[in-house]
Order: sequence, then C-alpha cells, then structure tokens
Amino acid sequence: MGRRFDITFVYDFIPKLLGFLQITLFIVACSMLLGMVIGTAVALPRLFRIPVLQRVSRIYVSFFRGTPILIQLFLIYFGLPELLKGIHLDVTRVPALAFVILTYGLNSGAFISEAIRAAVSAVDRGQVEAAYAVGMSGFHAFRRIVLPQAAAVSLPAFSNLVIGNLKDTSLSFTLGVMEMTGKSQTLGLATQHFIEVYLSLSLIYLAISLALERLFALAERRMRLHEPDVGVLRNQ
Amino acid sequence: MIQVRGLTKSYGKQKVLGHIDLQLQKGEVTAILGPSGSGKTTLLRCLNFLEKPNAGEIAIGDVTVNCKGAGKRDIHKLRQKTAMVFQNYHLFKHKTALENVMEGLVVVQKLLKADARARSQLMLDKVGLADKQDAYPSQLSGGQQQRVGIARALALNPEVVLFDEPTSALDPERVGEVLEVIRSIAREGITMIIVTHEMAFARDVSNHVVFMDDGAIVEEGPPQELFGSPKEERTRQFLKRMTQEWSYTI
Ligand SMILES: Nc1ncnc2c1ncn2[C@@H]1O[C@H](COP(=O)(O)OP(=O)(O)OP(=O)(O)O)[C@@H](O)[C@H]1O
Ligand SMILES: [Mg+2]
Repeated sequence: MGRRFDITFVYDFIPKLLGFLQITLFIVACSMLLGMVIGTAVALPRLFRIPVLQRVSRIYVSFFRGTPILIQLFLIYFGLPELLKGIHLDVTRVPALAFVILTYGLNSGAFISEAIRAAVSAVDRGQVEAAYAVGMSGFHAFRRIVLPQAAAVSLPAFSNLVIGNLKDTSLSFTLGVMEMTGKSQTLGLATQHFIEVYLSLSLIYLAISLALERLFALAERRMRLHEPDVGVLRNQ
Repeated sequence: MIQVRGLTKSYGKQKVLGHIDLQLQKGEVTAILGPSGSGKTTLLRCLNFLEKPNAGEIAIGDVTVNCKGAGKRDIHKLRQKTAMVFQNYHLFKHKTALENVMEGLVVVQKLLKADARARSQLMLDKVGLADKQDAYPSQLSGGQQQRVGIARALALNPEVVLFDEPTSALDPERVGEVLEVIRSIAREGITMIIVTHEMAFARDVSNHVVFMDDGAIVEEGPPQELFGSPKEERTRQFLKRMTQEWSYTI
C-alpha cells in the first residue's frame, strides 16, 4: 500500500495537519469543560449519599467507563437523534462536531466524577470540623477548605484525563469531523504516503501531550506548595 | 454564663451521655477528667454541635438553644460563641499559619483583610509563633501546629474555648510548650473547658474540675477538693490509677 517512504513528506504534512489542530483542541476544551460540569453533578449524589440519585450516578459511571468510546460515539451520533425524534425534536441539522463534543463530555464526566470523589475523600474530615468549629457554613467549608485541596490532589488524575481525551478525539474522524486525524486520512489518500502522514500525526500528538504534561506538573507544584514532600518526590 | 441542662446523646442504641447538667462561670477554667470512653469528647463536641445532642438545652452567653429542635441558625449562633482546639490540631493544610488564624475572621466574622491580619499576627505572637506566620502546617512541629490551633481559636474572641486533649498527640518534649501557652491565656481570664489526661496541669490551671464516668458527671468541684479529698469512690480509684501511671512514666 502507498508509495515509498520519503521523510520529506513529514515536513510537508506537519504544517498542513497543524491547520486542523485548533479543531482538535476545541473538542478537547469543550468536552473537558462539559465533563467537569457533568463530573461534578455526578459526583455530588455519591459524596452526599443521596438515595436513588447515587445509584443513577453509579450506573452512569459504569456505563461510560465500561464501554469503548467508539461505541459511545456511534450510540450518541446515531441513537440520540432517534430518541429525540420521539419527542419531536429534529437534530439532523446539528453538526457531527456537537455529537462528538457531547460524547467526549459525557465520557470524561464519568472519569472526572471518580477523580473528584477520590480527591474529596482525601481531605480529612477533621479540617471540615475545624471549619465548622470556627463558624463556617457547609458551603464555605467546602469551597474554601475542601475544594482547593481536592483540586490539587486530583490534578495528576485530571492531567491524565485531558491527555487521554486529546488522544481519544482522534476517533471523531469516524463521524466525518475534520480534525487532525480526519485531515490525515484525506492527506494520506491524496498522496498515498500514509506512513509519513501517521508519523507526522504522532509527532504532533506527542508534542501536545508532553506540553500538557509539563503544564499540569507546573500547576500541580504551585497548588501543592504546602506539601513539601511533593517537591522532594519529583526531584528524585 | 455557660449552662447545660439535661443534655443526652446516644449513638443508635448506645447511650453515651445521660442527662448532663453543668454550669460554668465566666472567666473560669474547667477541666474535664475521666477514663477513656466516658464521654468527655462527646460532651465537648455537643457544645458546638459537631455532634448533635438528642435532647437538652445549651446556653452560652446570650444564646440559648434547645437541642431537639435546633436548626441551622441556632447551630451557627452557638458556634460563633465557641471555638475549639482539637487533639490532632486539624489545621487547614493548604493555608499558612497566619491564613489559618485569619480564615474565620475573614469568612465568618467578615473583618477587613487588613484588620484580620493584624489581629491574627497578634494572636500568633501571643502563642510565640510570630516568626512562623508564613509556614505551612507541614513545616511546623506538632507543638507549633497546636499553638497555631490555639491562636486560631483565640482570634475569634469566643465566649468559651473548648480544648479536647490538646497535648495528647504530642511528643512528650513538646507537651510543655503547649501547656505553657494554655496556662498563660488562662491567666487572662478567658473561659475555657479543657478535656485532659494531664492531672498535674488540670490541678494547677483550673478553677473547677469535673469528673466523668460512663456518660455522667460523677463529681465536680474546685481542684483542691476534687484532687485533695474526692468524695466518690470512682473518683478516688481514677485519680489513684492516674497518679500511679504518672509516676511510672517518670
Ligand atoms: N461516632 C460514634 N459512633 C458510635 N459511638 C461513638 C462515636 N463516638 C464516640 N462513641 C462512643 O461514645 C463513647 C464516649 O466516647 P468519647 O470519645 O466521648 O469518650 P472520651 O471520654 O472522650 O474518651 P477518650 O478519653 O478515650 O478520648 C465511647 O464508648 C465511644 O465508643
Ligand atoms: Mg476523647
């Protein structure tokens, strides 16, 4: 398949693919934002042990963690419009991009809710009691004492999620969304230099993943200044 | 000025506090003694509703709360009259010593940042930690953390400061510095309730001693009386055991 390997194509392809990076990043940003909202909403019933709702949360998380994201994409893209037809809502003109963002948002929401749960449980109950004892309300105790520490704790997990999400978005070309991977398909077909295209694509994904990793590590160090051990571990 | 009437508390079927009556005067230092599991911590935590009592009445200063029907407002009012020093300090780990002390002043008492800071610095100075104001809890020794905890409680200017075994999580060589701080604020006439196993300290610092056993107050009175000539057999047994243990550890 394809023509003989020629490295010069890589130089040619990278800028062409980069032209579509913004779509990829747009999907990542939107779906992570959506995921954070959903993740919080899904985590709360389990954190506060709200009867019925915490079961719904658990089922939600199981489904999105336990099924391939490709299948989730298909289910939402093809299934949701059918479902909405039932209530006379026509979504055939909604662009595929919206379904992609929705799927990735729902998917990362499941993972984010688990990260939130773990992080909140990591903040010891005693600090919350101390907050109550100085007269803070439950809301203030959560926002000023629990949340900042939980956010710092969950940052490594969150970093993994964002990078995983970045890579997962490459699947959205299956719905015909023209992001980087989608563009690579057309470039490959047009030039018949598939290996070079995929090599270029990997280099770009790798560069962004590494950049994100650095960024989160920096943020984490800033947020965990109060834990000297974190710095020590990192320097080893 | 602090009056507890008919306070009861159960966990499920297990009765932990049975009908506690207690009255303390302003400026008085009360020590609560008693064997492990007698309900000392529970009583203290009921006073600021970290545990919800089942029944009874708590009056602190001008706030009176009937425990049974107590709502958020009542609890909030009561908590504003009290401050607590915990056995394990429970400092806010992501905040510096100074921020720990400021937190309640800014968030609850709505002081201006600058005023809160000035007051907090004063309090840290009082517990001998003026030079540690920018340190995070993880950078402080246990004794220093507990002194920050004390500063955090004092800054609120509460009617009463509740201490739950403030030195029992500390290394023996750190106990002295914390007791010294508590002793110095006791001299300022701040109302305090201290749950402690430090008998010598209790005897020395308190004006009033309460001995609890099995969820009830067995005996109370001035320290000279309670330590010198306890009326109840259970008190005698307890004190004997405590002083024995004490002499073993020397
Ligand atoms: N959350 C809880 N659930 C069930 N039982 C509890 C709970 N907290 C305390 N208890 C029980 O209540 C009783 C009194 O406990 P409390 O902690 O008040 O004792 P204490 O006098 O402070 O003991 P210590 O000197 O060991 O601190 C104990 O029997 C304990 O097992
Ligand atoms: Mg106790």
